[in-house]
Amino acid sequence: MSAIKIDKITKRFGTKTAVNNLSLEINEGELFALLGVNGAGKTTLIKTLTCLLKPNDGEAYILGKSVTTQADEVKKLINLSTQETAVAPNLTVRENLMMIAGIYGMDKESAKAKTDEMINKLSFGDYENQRAKTLSGGWQRKLSIAMALITEPKVLFLDEPTLGLDVLARRELWELVRKLKGKMTIILTTHYMEEAESLSDRIGVMINSNLITVGTPDELMKKTETHSVEEAFVKIAGGGLNEN
Amino acid sequence: MRIKAFASRNIKELIRDPLSYIFCLGFPLIMLLVMSVIGQSIPENEGTAIFNVQNQSAGTAVFGLAFVMLFAALLISKDRASALLCRLFASPMRSVDFILGYTLPLIIIAAAQLAVNVISSVIIGAAVGESFNFLNLLMSLAVHIPTIFLFIGLGIIFGTLFNEKSSPGISSIIVSLAPMLGGVWMPIDAMGGVILTIAKIFPFYHAVKASRTVLAGSSEGVAASILILCAWAAVIFILSIFVFKAKMRSEKK
Repeated sequence: MSAIKIDKITKRFGTKTAVNNLSLEINEGELFALLGVNGAGKTTLIKTLTCLLKPNDGEAYILGKSVTTQADEVKKLINLSTQETAVAPNLTVRENLMMIAGIYGMDKESAKAKTDEMINKLSFGDYENQRAKTLSGGWQRKLSIAMALITEPKVLFLDEPTLGLDVLARRELWELVRKLKGKMTIILTTHYMEEAESLSDRIGVMINSNLITVGTPDELMKKTETHSVEEAFVKIAGGGLNEN
Repeated sequence: MRIKAFASRNIKELIRDPLSYIFCLGFPLIMLLVMSVIGQSIPENEGTAIFNVQNQSAGTAVFGLAFVMLFAALLISKDRASALLCRLFASPMRSVDFILGYTLPLIIIAAAQLAVNVISSVIIGAAVGESFNFLNLLMSLAVHIPTIFLFIGLGIIFGTLFNEKSSPGISSIIVSLAPMLGGVWMPIDAMGGVILTIAKIFPFYHAVKASRTVLAGSSEGVAASILILCAWAAVIFILSIFVFKAKMRSEKK
C-alpha cells in the first residue's frame, strides 16, 4: 500500500491556484523531497495532506485514509514539523515533549519514557529543564522536530526543517533524518538542494503550483543532463526539462 | 488526556508570565486597598457606601475577573500567531479539546484570584473594623461563577477574532467599561438616569449588584440579577465556542 496517494488535488485561494491538479504516490518508508521556489505550492500541499487545508478538488489518502473525510484518523497517523518553529515558549524542553505525547494519547508512563528517549537521542540532556524561549534558534528547531518525532508517526512531514540553521546544526539534523529513513515515510520540503540530494529516495519538483517532474536524484540529473540536483532543479525551473 | 495535556501547558504559560501576577492579582488588590482607604477618608453619606470594604470586595472581584478575559485573549491570539497552534490543529485535538484546554486553566486562575480577593478583603475589613459573614462570603463566590464564564467567553472571542496586538486593546476597553458600568467605584444606583439604564443592560452591573447584595446578607433582587448574568454568560460562552469552531473551519479554506 502507498503511504500517500494524491489524486488530482487542486487547492485555490480565491482566484489564485496554489496546487493544480496534482497526483502523486509515495511508498511506505520512502523519503520524498519536494522542491520548488517560494510560492510554488509546497507548503500548501503539505497543509492539505496534514488536514490543515481542504482541497477544492481531488482527494488524498494517508495509509488509505482520506484527508477530507477521515481527518481524525489521518491525524493519528501523521505528525508535522512546520516551517516556523512550533514550540510552547514558556515550557521547558521536557514539558514540550510531554505535552505533545499527552496530546497524542500516551499515558503518563509512556510519555515519560518516550520523552527520556527523545532527550537522549537528540542530546537535549543539558537543556531539558530550560524553557524553550531561552534556547537558541537551532535548538528550538531541533525541539520542534523532536515534538514531531516523539509520537512515532507513520508519516512525517518536515516543512523546511533546516531553514535558518547554521551548517553544523543542519548536518546534525540530516544525520537524524537519515537515521529515520525506512522507519517511517517522510515528506520533506527544502530549498537546500544538497539536502534533497543527500537524503531523499525520490524528488518532486513543483513549479507554479504544478508538479513538473518526479524521480530519483540520479534520474533527475539524467533527464536534465546535469551533474547535480541543484543544476537539475535550475534547469527544470527554467523550463529546460528533457522528458525523453 | 488531550485536554489535560493542553490545559497543563496553558496553565504553565499563564502562571509563568509575570504580567499574570501584576494584572490578575496585584492590580485588583491595589485597587481594593486604595478604594478602601478612600472609603475611610471621606465623610459618610449615601453615595459613599460603595467604598466600604464589603462593597469594594464584591466590585474588585468582578474587576479582577475582567483581567482573566485579557489573559485569555492574549494567550489565544499569541497561539494563533505562532506555529504551535498550526501544529496542534494537525494533531488529533478536536475543537472541544481546545475550548476546554483553554477554559479549565482560566477557571483555576479566576478561582485563585477570587481566593486572594476574599482573603485580602477579610484582612482589610478586620483592619478597619468591618467583618464578613463566612456563609455570605461563600455565597458571593458562587455568584461569581457565571461572571467567570462571561469573561472567559469574551477572552476566547477576542483572542480568536483579533491578533495579538489588537486583542489586548479590545479587552482593555471591556476592562475599563466593566467597573464603570458595574458601579464598582461610582454610586451608579444613586446616580440613576441614562447611565443606570445603560448599566442594567450589561452584565457587569448585575454581577456587582448580586455579589454585593449577597455579601450584605440580603437576597433582594439577587435572583433577577443572577438570571440576567447567567443569560449573558451562557450566550457569550456558547458564542465563543461557535466563534472558535468557525475560525478553525475557516482556516482550512
